[in-house]
This record gives sequence, C-alpha cells and structure tokens, in this order.
Amino acid sequence: MKKYLLPLLAVVMCLAGCRAVRQKKADKDTTQFRYEIECGGNAIQGTYLVKVWTYSKTASVAENQCRKNAIHGVIFKGYGGGQGCVSQRPMANQPGIENQYKDYFDQFFANGGEFQKYASIMEGTTEIVKVGREYKVGVVVSVRKDDLRKALEAAGILKKLNSGF
Amino acid sequence: MKKSIFTLALALVALVASAQIKKPALMVVPSDVWCISNGYYTEVENMGITTKMPNYKQALQENMGLKLAIAKINDLMAEREFPLESLEQMIKNLEQQHMEDNMTTSKAGNELAESPLDEVARVAKCDIILELSWEVKDFGPKHSISYILEARDAYTAKSIGAAAGTGAQSFSADVDVLLEEAIVANMDNFNNRLLDHFTEMQTIGREISIDIKVFANNAAGIDLETEFGDDELIDVIENWLQLNTVQGRFTMPYASENIANFTQVRIPVYDERGRAIDANGFAKSLAKFLKKEPYNIPAKVLVKGLGRAVIILGEK
Repeated sequence: MKKYLLPLLAVVMCLAGCRAVRQKKADKDTTQFRYEIECGGNAIQGTYLVKVWTYSKTASVAENQCRKNAIHGVIFKGYGGGQGCVSQRPMANQPGIENQYKDYFDQFFANGGEFQKYASIMEGTTEIVKVGREYKVGVVVSVRKDDLRKALEAAGILKKLNSGF
Repeated sequence: MKKSIFTLALALVALVASAQIKKPALMVVPSDVWCISNGYYTEVENMGITTKMPNYKQALQENMGLKLAIAKINDLMAEREFPLESLEQMIKNLEQQHMEDNMTTSKAGNELAESPLDEVARVAKCDIILELSWEVKDFGPKHSISYILEARDAYTAKSIGAAAGTGAQSFSADVDVLLEEAIVANMDNFNNRLLDHFTEMQTIGREISIDIKVFANNAAGIDLETEFGDDELIDVIENWLQLNTVQGRFTMPYASENIANFTQVRIPVYDERGRAIDANGFAKSLAKFLKKEPYNIPAKVLVKGLGRAVIILGEK
C-alpha cells in the first residue's frame, strides 16, 4: 500500500501544479489584453451583454477566464457597435488609470476576487475555435455595469456624474 | 481646548460645503424637428415670414411616447443621482408667468424676443437642455428606431455632446419598447460626455458672450475710444474682463469706436454667495463698474437669453 501512496501523491501534486500554472498563464494573458470583446446583444437595464473571445491552450481555462476578461474589457477597453448594438466607451477612460490603481485592480481581478460579483456567463453560448496550438473560446457574459460603476466610484477610481457639485 | 477644536471642525465643514457648487439643472425637451414632423407646432408670422414654432404643451398632452421617453431618461439620470427638471411643470410655470405679465404694464423699449426654447430655459433656469428626437423606420415587415439625444448648453446653444444611433430591427417589438431600448443603450455614452462637460465647466467656467454698444449722440458724450488716463474705454472694459473672467478667458473678435463683441467669455458658474451667474448678472456687474468714478458712464443692459447680454453705453 505504502509503495503506491508516494507516486499517487506525486501525480496529484503535479496535476494541481499544472492547473495553477495554466491559471497563472491565463491571468497573464488577461493583463496583456489577449482577449477580444464585442457586443453580445441588447441587454436589460443596468447590464451589458458582451461576447468575449479568450485565448488559451486549454479550453476549460479560457472559459473560466471569460468573466474576468469581460469585466476587464468593460472597464478598460469598451467595445464597438453595429447590427443594432450601441458601441460603449470604456468606463475608465483616463489613460494610465490601470497602473495608477494597480494594487486595487490586482486584488479586484485576483482568482475569487470581487470581479466575480459583476459577471455571469450566459449558458449555452460557448463557442470554441482551435487556432494553431491554442483555443479561442467565445462566451456571452452579462456584466452588471451599473453595480460595477458604483463600486469603482465608491473606490474613488471613477468620477461620479455629480462629483464637484 | 475641546470647544475650540469643535468650533474649528465646524468652520472647516462649513468651508467645504460652501466650496461646493450647485448641480446644473437639466431638462429634456422634444427637438424642433421631432415636434414639426409630428405636427406639434404653431405657425407664427414675423415680418412677412411664416415660422413654425414647436408646441411643447400639445406634444406632451398628445404623445404618450414622448412622456415615456422623458420618464425613462429621468429614471436613468436619477439613478446617477442627477434628477431632471420637468418640462411639464415648466410649461405650467410659464403659463402662470404669461398671465402675470399680461396684467402688468411693461417698461417701454426693452422687448424680449425669445424662442419657445429660450423661454423655457429662462423660466426653468436650466443649464443644459437635452433635445430628444426619434423616428421609426420600416424595412418591409420589420421596423427599427433612429434615436438622437443631444445636450445643448442653454447659455450658448452650443452642443455639448450627443448619443445617436439606429436600433436593431424587430418584427414584433412596438415603438415604445424600441424607444426604451434605444434610451437605455445610449445613456452611458451620453453621460460620459456630460461628465466631460461638467469637468470642463468646473475648471474653466461657463461660456457666455457680451456685446457692448454705444448710443449715438449720447448725453455722456462717450464712445469706446474715449480716454480715461492712459487707457481708452475699450481697454478699461478689457482689463475688467481680464480680472473677472475665469483664468482671464475671453476673445474680442470685433471692436470699433461704437461696437465691441466679446465671445467665449468664461464666467464663474456661481458667485461667492452660491447664486448662479448668467450673462445678464455678469453684464450688470460690468455696467455697475462703469457707472462708478472715475468713468460715470450710464449703461443699459438688455437680456438676450441666459448666455448673451448687450450693454448699451451712454444713456440709461
């Protein structure tokens, strides 16, 4: 029994390590803007529907990363319109704001971080495309933009419409 | 010791509160083009030319879509802690004022020629007018909505920003639903432009224009080239503007001995007592300055809306 325990433990540790490495790589891809964001359709009041295409060597990791990328995109990139969709400017449109509040955003976008509260994946919308040696995974995400904006206003990152009055 | 700390804290709170300025007042009105294309207008004949003037009261009384659109925009603005002035209420106030005016004898020689929009802005003391228009477009059995919401500075009539676009085509959704969708989808971009404008206004003040004229053969015997010490009167006025505008910002595109036009005059948004300053108030301050020693120039100030005033020098 003892002779099997050690190799089994080694395999489990290796798997966990590999998963952590994949997640770390996906996080790095997010911060390097290795994703595409586009309008996902007309949304109900207080939300945006965005379609996010995330790149990863593992399809499941890319799918998990979509929510983080959707929030990142809404805050820092904005998206184009067309076909009945209205283009949206990024919420934070001052240059360099991501670096200025780096500590806040590192914590915000950490795995299990606050970003999770503002995004939910629309079931049955996943599209997976193999591009070279990696996958490009597209998912429609609903972003609770009003709540997200209020959180960023409360943190002093965004200016309120009535600020200064 | 405790008492003086408390007093100091109270004074600091009061200072911070007084440093804050009042929120600009915003109001949604249907655009001229929407009113006229939907038949909500009255024809006015002026010097032989017939002009179509928007009839806001009729539009509000007869068009449910307009009321819905205004309510939706108000709802979204209230959510951003920026409730709007009500056009309907302003029209009631305006009617009340007209009734009072009709019963009062006016001073001769100071006529106000204002469009319905100027009149509404003046009575509402609006800073920004949001002009709304939409049009339903049919593509066979489908239809979609083209929507424009444009913000105009009530003082200068300059455009601050607009949100415009054509919504998705639909077989089934009715016009009111499409209109609501268009408003919801466009409001964030619109508010971003408003925020940019507010930031600019807080930094470099509110924009107005002032025209200075001189009564021909006036009793004071002055024109803009009359000398006071080393300076001509136009230099005295320029120096006053330099001191009283925000960061000394104004331009003088034209000046002669009888007329001077000052545009892009940036005035403080509120005076030291927290009251909103408009072109009329600012022009009156200048007129008061010129009335004092050593100039002793009588002046008449004419109101031309919130953002434009005319000062006529030489007589009252």
